[in-house]
Amino acid sequence: MSEYIHPEVLVDTQWVADHSGDENVRVVESNEDILLYSTGHVANAIKIDWQNDLQDSVLRDYVGKENFEKLLSRKGISPEHTVVFYGDKSNWWACYAFWAFKLFGHKNCLLMNGGRQKWLAQGRPLTKDVREFPSTDYKVGEMNEEKIRAFRDDVFRHIDAKKPLIDVRSTGEYTGELLHMPDYPQEGALRGGHIPGAKSVPWSQAAREDGTFKSWADLKELYEGNAGLSSSDDVVAYCRIGERSSHTWFVLTYLLGYESVRNYDGSWTEWGNLVRAPIEKS
Amino acid sequence: MSKLDGIIAEFQEAQGEERLEILLEFAESLPPLPEEYIPQKEAGLNRIHECQSPVFMWIIVSSEKKVKIYADVPMEAPTVRGFVSILVEAFHESSQEEVLACPNDLIHKLGLVSLLGMMRLSGLTSIIRRLKQSVIEKS
Repeated sequence: MSEYIHPEVLVDTQWVADHSGDENVRVVESNEDILLYSTGHVANAIKIDWQNDLQDSVLRDYVGKENFEKLLSRKGISPEHTVVFYGDKSNWWACYAFWAFKLFGHKNCLLMNGGRQKWLAQGRPLTKDVREFPSTDYKVGEMNEEKIRAFRDDVFRHIDAKKPLIDVRSTGEYTGELLHMPDYPQEGALRGGHIPGAKSVPWSQAAREDGTFKSWADLKELYEGNAGLSSSDDVVAYCRIGERSSHTWFVLTYLLGYESVRNYDGSWTEWGNLVRAPIEKS
Repeated sequence: MSKLDGIIAEFQEAQGEERLEILLEFAESLPPLPEEYIPQKEAGLNRIHECQSPVFMWIIVSSEKKVKIYADVPMEAPTVRGFVSILVEAFHESSQEEVLACPNDLIHKLGLVSLLGMMRLSGLTSIIRRLKQSVIEKS
């Protein structure tokens, strides 16, 4: 892991095993499957559900600042805590939660390389005991939205400026052959294809079979050799709802050290339904 | 009251998170796949491809016109496993008519939509569709 530009953000399962009881650390599990945490989790891990906890239940948006403060206070997380994220599906949802914490300016966020899959593959123990931490009075300092989140108007400007966009969906979704991700029919859009000029780098190409990230050299080849990015680029990544692209956002920002990467969380469920938004098919 | 109506009532009487606890209990109580089906599963047969998780179901109609359902879903996909377990509990040893009367929007009736969210209902409805289709083909 040491070749990555910011290796300090990625920790291995052993680190988590050694620190899950550390009072300065909070371990957060975030999964696609809402019940998975209850079947067993890393000792002292706190469950944060990407939908019920992080998304507003009415507006299509993340929870507001106040609700984020309430959530973290209730979970016993303070701004000083180092929060280490892990989850199912090669850490998709852990990256999504990581990104959301960064949106609200949480300083010390780490990711456990390989997620649940790696932890289980190593035969490490899970527990069903839910640890209740004393509540805190979490206050959001400076929001980070402008730096790491893109909205559709930003994307229009990006197209006009011919700046790089990375489409992290599967090839079939990129070409327009599929109107939804295989097996996720309800995340459909009225139009298929991709944002004009976007390069296709499916997120999964950044992960190994065991759920961990590929090496720095392989990632560099993937994003710079194949997709033509460079570390000084202003990049916008998108997928369908912004979860797979938070995985790519993590890779570009921390593993390859890009300074300007934003996640367009409106993604294809917004763009592919937006009247007169330009689309390319190929 | 049919078995399914009983299950729906149980979910509706529960509030919020309690519904998830019931779903988890179903996930934990799915009977293991009978041994004779394991070779077929290992050969990749009877998988429901609309589900992202590996869901395997054998739907049989016996000579006495009883529906039999055998299923396998990994514990790492507890939501889907719980849902399949509900269908097994409701329809194993039931009649074909009972299966065909299963509401297609069962997930709504169980009060799970707001908890799981539209994004996570992936594949669940297709399991009901597959179940009904198999029962029609075998009638």
